[in-house]
Amino acid sequence: MDDSMSSMILNGDTSGAITVTVPAVAGTNTATLPAATGTVMVSGNMPAFSAYANASQTVSSNVNTKVVLQNKNFDTNNCFDATTNYRFTPTVAGYYQFNAQLFLAGSATTTQINLLIYKNGGSYNERLVDLNPSASLTSDGELIVSGSTIIYMNGTTDYVELYGYYYLGTSTFSQNSQAITSRFSGSLVRSA
Amino acid sequence: MLIEQIKSIYPSLTDEDFRPIKGTIVIQNDSDGKGDYIAKWEHPTLARPTDEELA
Repeated sequence: MDDSMSSMILNGDTSGAITVTVPAVAGTNTATLPAATGTVMVSGNMPAFSAYANASQTVSSNVNTKVVLQNKNFDTNNCFDATTNYRFTPTVAGYYQFNAQLFLAGSATTTQINLLIYKNGGSYNERLVDLNPSASLTSDGELIVSGSTIIYMNGTTDYVELYGYYYLGTSTFSQNSQAITSRFSGSLVRSA
Repeated sequence: MLIEQIKSIYPSLTDEDFRPIKGTIVIQNDSDGKGDYIAKWEHPTLARPTDEELA
């Protein structure tokens, strides 16, 4: 390879090409590839998203209810459906870190709140807050429950969704501002 | 409401039967406009209500 080259093109066996480019910035740097087999991760194949609810959602007691997340802060690979199913279906296989919070405004008889991350339609991870049996939310009480987990996603059909649950009384998945609302985010942390 | 319908079919059921961990019945709503439905029924003695009973 010519020492003066600023870029190098690697052609695929049958199609495609990848260009490795060195920026025209002074200084010498070293990028080391590990002595291991795997897929090199670059920003283009590392999906990440952050979605949130921008309206309160009336829900029934004792019912696992999907949180309606109509707004996105970002969705790098267009994998989050904020219109119909409110779900994240990544297009790259690997292990994803998911973070969720449920902002709930309960009533005086609400004694249990549960945040659930669903994978492919079934509960995968739950974060349950059981208030002391002698206590409950006040009539205008508000509570945020948060949780996180790492889930393997196959990059084609696997999807995750955020559900919430509360026990007794009347309640809403509330929304106060973009900062104080129900929220769901995730990103690829390791390729398959 | 579906839970109230189920309770009217089986008056012995209480809210406790629908709780996470302790309960054996899961009611779900996918926020798709189709309403509540039975996602899981693992009650040890009572049979899952039929669609006709819930109609």
